[in-house]
Amino acid sequence: MAPNKSTEEPVAAPASSQEDETMEEDVALQEADAANPAIYNLGDSRIQLLPGGDEFNTSFEFQKEDHTLGNALRYIIMKNPEVDFCGYSIPHPSEALMNIRIQTFPPYTAQEALNKGFEDLIALCDVVADTFTTERNAFAANQESQMQT
Amino acid sequence: MDFDDDMILDQGPAVTITEAGDNFVNFALQKVDLSFANSLRRVIMAEIPIMAIDLVEIEVNSSVLPDEFLCHRLGLIPLVSKNCTEDVEYTRECDCDQYCSRCSVTLSLHAKCTSNEIMKVYAADLLVDHDRANPWVGTPVITDAEGKGTVICKLRNGQELRMKCIAKKGIGKEHAKWAPVAAVGFEYDPHNKLKHTDLWFEKSIAEEWPASKHAEWEEPAQEGERFDPDAEPDKYYFEVEGVGNLAPDQIIHEGIKVLQTKLATILNALGETKEDAGERFLPDDDVDMGGRNDFDNGYTTPGYNGPSYGNHGRATPYGATPYGQSGY
Repeated sequence: MAPNKSTEEPVAAPASSQEDETMEEDVALQEADAANPAIYNLGDSRIQLLPGGDEFNTSFEFQKEDHTLGNALRYIIMKNPEVDFCGYSIPHPSEALMNIRIQTFPPYTAQEALNKGFEDLIALCDVVADTFTTERNAFAANQESQMQT
Repeated sequence: MDFDDDMILDQGPAVTITEAGDNFVNFALQKVDLSFANSLRRVIMAEIPIMAIDLVEIEVNSSVLPDEFLCHRLGLIPLVSKNCTEDVEYTRECDCDQYCSRCSVTLSLHAKCTSNEIMKVYAADLLVDHDRANPWVGTPVITDAEGKGTVICKLRNGQELRMKCIAKKGIGKEHAKWAPVAAVGFEYDPHNKLKHTDLWFEKSIAEEWPASKHAEWEEPAQEGERFDPDAEPDKYYFEVEGVGNLAPDQIIHEGIKVLQTKLATILNALGETKEDAGERFLPDDDVDMGGRNDFDNGYTTPGYNGPSYGNHGRATPYGATPYGQSGY
């Protein structure tokens, strides 16, 4: 990011309640369309909302991400029964951009689905890491006992 | 965690280790989705930080090899990288001016041939500076019986090498010398029951395509069995072959950790608009990186506090950063 950006106000201020957030996002979306059709910044400078859509049908653009995040995230978001559709694409192979489209059943918002996707994927990683550790210890113990006999 | 209770956690992902050694581990990962297994593979190959020589200051090189030839070879020498994720900083994020003991390891090489015999310079001849982040990091990986390591160069009588090598932390996405693995074998559905591959054949697939070593782990398609279009892959055979920088099980754990940190950082940044999310997942060292924001040069290593700064304001139009494209 350009270094001189830090003086600007954060665009999306913390919202205290669910409703506030939805409204805020609505406003932000309109604002984005008016000011710059291409981009609205979502707090994290690497994620942007793409134009066209509402809070239940949203396209997010991730900078500097690829299939590593995209495919796994797409899968885990699709597992959410509140989600109608989720897909991802890498618009051009020489640009490090990844777009993810989320469509949800109202009143569940696409951003909630995205957040939940991240949380679930982190939890899945934990489970796999634990399973691997358990299995590795069992394997090591087994090897040792075989060595002794 | 309401819906995935029955989807994932009830059955739970399973791991079966089939073989393991000092430098490799073969295992089967079960009951996860193809996309997750593939993410794990990708992250292991490209995004685990390890140490490699990145900067070489050549004082004398009268060998037959040109300077850049030697630098390239030096870069490819595997260096012990135990705990380097935590202990070593990225040079671009470090507070120092150029490089320091917290973000780099200095190895010096001085060799001169004074006899009529051809002299070989080995990786073991690299002298590691003890002023480093932890007592292992940066030592060349030496596995041969004589303890010499790889040959860097051969010298004739009178030829000399004198150079200072700076090893830095990096990821395989930037340069393959930072990849902790030589290869990650990844296979699923050895009998091709899902028809994800279209096997070319002249007369018969069975005769022309030798069975993979994982074929015996799964039932072949029965005679006259109908193709199930809804079937999903379920078991993935990994063969992780390390280079010696990290122990194989460390590689797996680091891989999962890198993936998690990647997710947590984004979630955390998103959480700025929604207070409850994120925070709790991030590792403790989340705070600011000491104000070197302007040094984000093109590629930010995902998950390493990258986006925790500069997150105010809009991006430049069309999202282009002034630092150009990343190192993909």
